[in-house]
Amino acid sequence: MRQVRTFHLAALLALAGALPAVAQPATRGGSNSVNIQFQRMTLPNGLEVILAPDHTIPQVAVNVWYHVGSKNESAGRTGFAHMFEHVMFTGSGHVPYGMHDRLTEGVGGTNNGSTTNDRTNYYEVVPSNYLESALWLESDRMGFLLDKLDDAKFRAQRDIVQNERRQGVDNQPYGRAFELLDYGIYPSTHRYSWPVVGYMTDLQAATVDDVKNFFRLYYAPSNATIAIVGDFDPARAKSMVTKYFGDLKGGTRIARPAITMPALAAEKRMVFEDRVQIPRLYLSWPSVGEDQSDTHAIQFLAQILAGPRTARLTKALVYDRQSAAAVGAFDNTNENAGNFIVQITPRPNHTLGELEATADSIIARLKDTGPTAEEMKKTQAGLEFAFVSQLQSNLGKSNILNSGLVFHGDAGNFRKEYAQLKAVTAADVKRVANKYLGAGRVVLSIVPLGKPELASHADRSARVTVAADGGHYIMGNTQ
Amino acid sequence: MTLRTLKTPATLALALALAVAAPAASSAQGKLDRATAPTPGSSPAMRVPTWTRTKLANGAELIVVEKHDLPLVAFNLDFVGGAPSFEPADKLGTAQFTGQMLSEGTKTRTADELSDAQQMLGTTIAASVGSEGGNVRFTALKDKFVPALDLLADMMLNSTFPDSALERLRGRALVALAQQRDQPNAIAANVFSRVVYGDAHPYGRVTNEKTVKAITRDDVLAFHRAYFKPGRAVITVSGDVDPKAVRAAVERAFAAWPAGGERPSFAYGPLPAPVARTIYLVDKPKAAQSVFAFGTPGPARNTPDYYALSVMNHLLGGLFQSRLNHDIREVKGFSYGVRSSFAFGHGPGAFQAGGGIVSAKTDSALMGFMTHFKGVQGEMPFTDDEVKQGKESLIQSLPSRFATVNNIAASVSAIYTQDLPETFYQDYASRINAVTKDDLVRVAKKYIDTDHMALVIVGDRATIEDKLKATGIAPITILDVDGKH
Repeated sequence: MRQVRTFHLAALLALAGALPAVAQPATRGGSNSVNIQFQRMTLPNGLEVILAPDHTIPQVAVNVWYHVGSKNESAGRTGFAHMFEHVMFTGSGHVPYGMHDRLTEGVGGTNNGSTTNDRTNYYEVVPSNYLESALWLESDRMGFLLDKLDDAKFRAQRDIVQNERRQGVDNQPYGRAFELLDYGIYPSTHRYSWPVVGYMTDLQAATVDDVKNFFRLYYAPSNATIAIVGDFDPARAKSMVTKYFGDLKGGTRIARPAITMPALAAEKRMVFEDRVQIPRLYLSWPSVGEDQSDTHAIQFLAQILAGPRTARLTKALVYDRQSAAAVGAFDNTNENAGNFIVQITPRPNHTLGELEATADSIIARLKDTGPTAEEMKKTQAGLEFAFVSQLQSNLGKSNILNSGLVFHGDAGNFRKEYAQLKAVTAADVKRVANKYLGAGRVVLSIVPLGKPELASHADRSARVTVAADGGHYIMGNTQ
Repeated sequence: MTLRTLKTPATLALALALAVAAPAASSAQGKLDRATAPTPGSSPAMRVPTWTRTKLANGAELIVVEKHDLPLVAFNLDFVGGAPSFEPADKLGTAQFTGQMLSEGTKTRTADELSDAQQMLGTTIAASVGSEGGNVRFTALKDKFVPALDLLADMMLNSTFPDSALERLRGRALVALAQQRDQPNAIAANVFSRVVYGDAHPYGRVTNEKTVKAITRDDVLAFHRAYFKPGRAVITVSGDVDPKAVRAAVERAFAAWPAGGERPSFAYGPLPAPVARTIYLVDKPKAAQSVFAFGTPGPARNTPDYYALSVMNHLLGGLFQSRLNHDIREVKGFSYGVRSSFAFGHGPGAFQAGGGIVSAKTDSALMGFMTHFKGVQGEMPFTDDEVKQGKESLIQSLPSRFATVNNIAASVSAIYTQDLPETFYQDYASRINAVTKDDLVRVAKKYIDTDHMALVIVGDRATIEDKLKATGIAPITILDVDGKH
């Protein structure tokens, strides 16, 4: 038998066979322990800093979260938060266009940004010797973005955002489904009712001054957190953060919108014609935000209904009756509100109406008897694995830490969240199923062009069409 | 403003010098000079994990890589050779069904019991067979590793392949195929394979309704018998494990797996005769974007030009600020993103470039792509800084390949499934650094054959056809979503 040992530069230094000390983070434990060791620092301007060294690989993730998302926009002025995500990569006071990519991807790292209803983030993952560059880049756009922002830059990014929408929504079969579900479940003035990408008519109408005001309010250090995770020395990182962010001005106090999840008094049925051959059914119930403790039991509910093969809907529809090609369930959880979504794709010769009725009877049974002890154990095992698994990535950890700090005021919230997940009982799942999966819901049928009769209960479903601006929706009458 | 870039240590001596050196901190006192980018410290030393490699009695290779920071284990059972070497050309989809049917019950466990057992272990055992390789794999917490391994072995060795499951899988596959015909990216990918490789070449065969309907249970049984053999298997276990214990567990789990099988030759038949540059237009009425898939057959992974091609492609369409993406997305605003790649398989995997283009700019974007193909062939020479960036970016991103237990398992097994040198990762920096500017032009000319390029465009024919014609770039052939006339 052949035995091969491939050499390892660092290991060679430390003595063959032994792993170098730097490859042993403090999180090692004999059991399946879940932990991230981190330190905190707050600058006088309000910037919150989280530092979590992990020397597994010689890279470091720098991740800045701004507590602003599309919910901070107003009707008629949508899409700003996401537009910023794009504008933030076009250069700033001391950083010319292109330098950001040059000092991240161009040296072996990556960068990106993302925008949700509730927050916007920017990250760099770089070789560890480029930590200071990453902090320089982030501090410059936090402090000096507006020095270089002009109308031409804004318009150029607006074109790209329109392409993003074309690619992700307009040119995808079923691509409008989630916009339609939000449109159906929220009143038109609700802050979660408009798409994160915004309405193009709003973006066209935006002025550079609108944009600048938005930036000044929300992109201040006092509305930001920064997590640094990976191969670095905390004392040195702290001094670098102070150096680059210390002299930026804190912002004014931000009035957080009070957002609640509106109940739906009755079922709302919609049908939308799309360029698809196979219809699809979506059910959506108002649920809760990440700020409510029921969110954990709702995660269990999604798994028990439409997780793996033996989940209730999966087994009944895909395996036993074979009336569906696929089912899925998940909670679309925002910070302050959410909706629980079930999605079903039929097999030929099975109607959306039949699938809805079967799904409803299965959900009713779960509401009646609650999950079994075995279902609870299986779901817990999956969640435990998922939790530990995400600790492998520096970027993943930086998001967990930021999320805790921004949404729960505690970077260590993951420990509490993990404990809460493990504490969810069958009674909790039964209770949330009954509390949230009630009569008030949205039922959306997406059907092939010209075939509205394929909708579930077509006679009671309102036809929804796209407005002339290509973004807004128009609710028609029932047929 | 200029930026200092650095060399990557390729020698042990340099690594020694760097091993204790922390990144250089800027300790400048006084007013901060924001206009100058911080000076990076020395590049971190490259750390490639070590592994053990042994052979099981039945001939399967076993590789174990230790990583002890988290209680996780990745198990990959890779097979060298893919569907085209083992499934009949008129029954495409057999390999996929066979992989899926490993979950449909064994001699001692029903399909539901297999699923419940995996869920109890917090893991998912997945099997898939691609065009040149296949695998059965899972990732689990370390205390679940042995039971998950036993379950996997039962699925692979003792599956019963019930007829009823085949019919269910077939029904679902037919729905998925119908949905693919609505998906412009899927249409572009399928049509590209057909026009570039033709029906006779394995790379040109696309699973369709007809082949899926022809598959019988006997075909699945035959594929299972022929394919899942230890003689072409590489088992890679990465994570919080002890190599001796892993070996004992794997030997026990696969004790009943008889020896046999060998790596296929990958001797594909000849490529179709090159066809003059042609636009293949697939109509997608009212599409908001035109999806581009441009390219030609490319070199195999073992080409000596691998490193030069890697750098060249990185600069042409790999990086965000690559020539294609910078120009088509950032400067012109025609797209949310375009890119290029080489497939680098055992055979002539494709060079491919493309992305989604706003319909109204389809013609301009096509001209842009052609300009950049010619550009990297010498009309717009690479600058020193571009080359430096391309190399540094490739070299310094290497640690990401060892970030997670799954990354490690994939990176290490690739050495053995793709016949790479065992020092591939250690040598990578010096091989990349050895690439010259002349090499880049040479490989761009050699492998980006614009005279015979297939230009597949899936978009709204009514608004784009005349404008495409007016570019004069190539004659237009209209195809349907299946790539047929």
